Amino acid sequence: MNSTQTQNRIELTKVSKSFTLPSGSFQALKEVNLTIPSSQLVAITGKSGSGKSTLLNMIAGIDKPTDGHVVINGVQVEKLTESALATWRGKNIGVVFQFFQLLPTLTILENVMLPMDFCNSYPKSARRERALSLLELVNIREQADKLPSTLSGGQQQRAAIARALANDPPILIADEPTGNLDSQTATSIFEVFASLTKSGKTVIIVTHEKDFSAYFENVIAIADGAILN
Amino acid sequence: MPTRFYKVFRDLTSDSSKSLMLVLSIALGVFGIGTILGSYSVVQREVKDNYMNTVPASATIEVDSAISKEVVDSIKSISGIAEAERHASVVARMKVGEKWYPLLLFVIDDFENKKTNKYNLLSGVANPTEGSMLVERTAYGMMQAKEGDELLIKTANGNPKKVKLTGTVHDAGLAPAWQEQAGYGYISLTTLQVLGETQGFDQLRVLVSEQTESETHIQECAQKAASLLKSKGYEVREIQVPPPGKHPHQGQMTTVMRIFIVFSFLILILGSILVATSISTLIVKQIRQIGIMKTIGATSQQIAGLYFLMILLVSIVALLMAIPLSRLAASAFTNQLAVLLNLEIRNASIPNWVLLLQTLAGILIPFAITSLPIIRGSRISVKSALDNTGVNLNLLHKSRWVIRISQLSFLSEVARLSIRNVFRQRARLLMTLGLLAAGGAMFMTAMNVAEAWNENLKLIYVQRLYDLEVRLNEPIDVDSIVAKLKRLKGVARVEAWNYTSTSFSKDAEFEVTRTYPDKGHGSFSLQAVPIGTKVLNPSVVEGSWLQSPLAREVVLNQSSRGYLKIGDSVKLAIDGKPTTWKVIGFTMDVGSPALAYVSLDAFVEVAKLSKKSNLLRIGYLDRSKESAYAKNKEVESLLEKENAGINTTIPVWLLHNAIAAHMKVLVNSLLAMALLMALVGTLGLMSTMSMNILERTREIGMMRAIGATPTTINKLIIFEGMLIGALSLIIAFVFSLALSSYMGIKIGHLAFRTPLSLTISIAGVAIWISIILLGSFIATWFPAKRANRITTREALAYE
Repeated sequence: MNSTQTQNRIELTKVSKSFTLPSGSFQALKEVNLTIPSSQLVAITGKSGSGKSTLLNMIAGIDKPTDGHVVINGVQVEKLTESALATWRGKNIGVVFQFFQLLPTLTILENVMLPMDFCNSYPKSARRERALSLLELVNIREQADKLPSTLSGGQQQRAAIARALANDPPILIADEPTGNLDSQTATSIFEVFASLTKSGKTVIIVTHEKDFSAYFENVIAIADGAILN
Repeated sequence: MPTRFYKVFRDLTSDSSKSLMLVLSIALGVFGIGTILGSYSVVQREVKDNYMNTVPASATIEVDSAISKEVVDSIKSISGIAEAERHASVVARMKVGEKWYPLLLFVIDDFENKKTNKYNLLSGVANPTEGSMLVERTAYGMMQAKEGDELLIKTANGNPKKVKLTGTVHDAGLAPAWQEQAGYGYISLTTLQVLGETQGFDQLRVLVSEQTESETHIQECAQKAASLLKSKGYEVREIQVPPPGKHPHQGQMTTVMRIFIVFSFLILILGSILVATSISTLIVKQIRQIGIMKTIGATSQQIAGLYFLMILLVSIVALLMAIPLSRLAASAFTNQLAVLLNLEIRNASIPNWVLLLQTLAGILIPFAITSLPIIRGSRISVKSALDNTGVNLNLLHKSRWVIRISQLSFLSEVARLSIRNVFRQRARLLMTLGLLAAGGAMFMTAMNVAEAWNENLKLIYVQRLYDLEVRLNEPIDVDSIVAKLKRLKGVARVEAWNYTSTSFSKDAEFEVTRTYPDKGHGSFSLQAVPIGTKVLNPSVVEGSWLQSPLAREVVLNQSSRGYLKIGDSVKLAIDGKPTTWKVIGFTMDVGSPALAYVSLDAFVEVAKLSKKSNLLRIGYLDRSKESAYAKNKEVESLLEKENAGINTTIPVWLLHNAIAAHMKVLVNSLLAMALLMALVGTLGLMSTMSMNILERTREIGMMRAIGATPTTINKLIIFEGMLIGALSLIIAFVFSLALSSYMGIKIGHLAFRTPLSLTISIAGVAIWISIILLGSFIATWFPAKRANRITTREALAYE
């Protein structure tokens, strides 16, 4: 294991998560232990309600465990304050959503520049060039000045990936990123993810798509809040 | 420019009608504040400046005979007195068309070198010759004349004579003539003699040399001057010390302007609440965007900063729009007030603090009010933002009473659901109810006050069962005149009274009143009433009315009661001599100056009068203004034929008009503000309802998917809006009662010297109910239509 792999390793130790609802308590994760080394394309699979999105939220710092620890790149995530977490997330985790979630009133280029603005991660003068190069990477540079609503689903998802890469985070997580795309477009998106792992990124994807299993180096199956494999 | 700022600009420009509404909500309040404060600052400064430029006499001493020049010189040598001047004022009558009006004549000793109560010559001659007169500029309207015309004048002892109007002056110390329903003229002593009067200068006006604003010091100096006059053989009747440095209408103006200032700030606060509800709508709409921004690295502070920037931009645009307009409006309003106060605006510049305050208020108030939804919205956790369904399930789960109410058997399913929906977003519901209730309370208050105002004006006729008051030059035996008057057709009642100016006797040697030179403002009179009077219907609020003819008992009205209580003994000056009376009651008189009522018989005995009456009060069968015109003429010609020596006649309709003219502008302005409130309130309801529907788009799709028809959805949403409107009505009504009572006290004291009775305007309530119901319907009809236009599939997929 080289030093980058150690640095960007994701470690979950006895992570449990329960929710209190008016109807009673519900346990979404049960003492999950998980280690994901860096530079891998990892799939999390499972049925609806199995806990896979909750697991992803734990890794992204979107939600905090009721019990246990989430350590990423040596940082104990659940101990960070909301404000520190936002900045940490912005720099360390890139998130891609099923429905793309681009801000509708910003152009594609501005959407990609926005994380750099929030995290103040690149010099102002360099942000535009970096955003354009990321759009180049996902093959939609010519769409840079358009609003998201004028782009196809596939193009929007590529833009969302470019946005997730804006601050050059070592980890990318994606919640069913191809769930809303046709198979041809989905293939092209998986190819982008695969290429990212080659440049040292860790990519974790929640997916139902069995057709793309060849892309994954590691598949984590989850059921009733527990990891099966 | 940071990338995130683009989002703020685009959010604002993507829905320009909504942004315009936000701008207008703030601009209305900023406009109101700028207009009122701008005008207030200029008028306040100019009133003082105008008034002080007249060099108002610190005190006026009235004596029984003409004051010689030598005496004036010796008064000037008293330490503490800077200047002294002889003067006289006479209440005469002028004929305008077929009617006689009061005319206040100021008799000037030296027109060229006037020392006190100066005026500004606007045109014509500076020194009117015998038989001519200078006229205060506002009096021409009352006289229906112009410079160069002749006016028929009758003094108490003279025959009607024509006097030429040879010059026009502006006297800033006088209220406008049309407000007082009287004329103002400036004549020489020789002209007064031509008019049939023999009196000389029986008033001495003095200016103190130091502590010019100290009432106590002025009184001390005036007492010294009065002592000197007494030592020279004069009988001092009264010392008049009006509030130093204060225009007679300054107190009124300050109160009125303060009420307007409070109203304009309230409009800004309401507008800001409206902005807050709109920002809440936007945050609800963008809650997932907030989640996404937080996911990509935005902190809560950065998110809050975006929305605060939005408010700042909206406020700046509102300020840019409202400030220039408010300055124009302030200038127009200042001119209106200048007319009301008889001012000459010499410097119309609005001080810079107004601009500063307007800007700070226009930015800070919206910031403060919107900070709650912004901070709450920006602090939402990423997970809550991404999972947001717009409904607080936990809160509804806890509101068992809402569930119970909605389960009442007579309610339909739609009504049940609507009731529960109303209470789903408590904070927003409170904000909407607050906005609507404040708007409604202020609207109904303005309507209530306007109606109470009219009711109180009517009281002038209810309390006065006479239609004409005739003041005679001196007490005479009026029995035969009264008998003749009673025989006139249409005359219902005639009574002979007596009156004299009075003051509460203190330990000082001479009596001091607070009467202004116009004789009306600040005056205190004693009225001697026949026991069992049929021409007065006094509103006794404490104690009892006069019963015993010879008892030394007094009833005081609200302007004279001060801190006195029933059973107290008071000393009232009659012809400068103290007389003792026991207080037995207090009245609330509408439209009277300070008055003390005593029995006519007791008064005649105390004053040692051989003839009883110098005041006649005559009531008609037909009390309409038109009929009173004709009757007054008949009465006056009879009195002239009988040589009764009429000093002045005051028809009750004239008094009614004078009071109505004083405050009409205020009442109308209140109604205008009320309409603004109604507008802001309705916009608030529309904003809230569209927010409520927007965040339930998915839920509505689900309802449609399980069989709800568009009509059901319509009913559900409209019923919800109506329910919020109805709840606000109850709160608004309760608040309007408290606010109406407070405003009634303030305005009533200004105009009538008595609080306005709490009156509920049925029309006001009805109009507000209609506005709310119609507003609720419109506010919900559009969102309902929009909700129904979205297909079930779109609604279910709504993010």
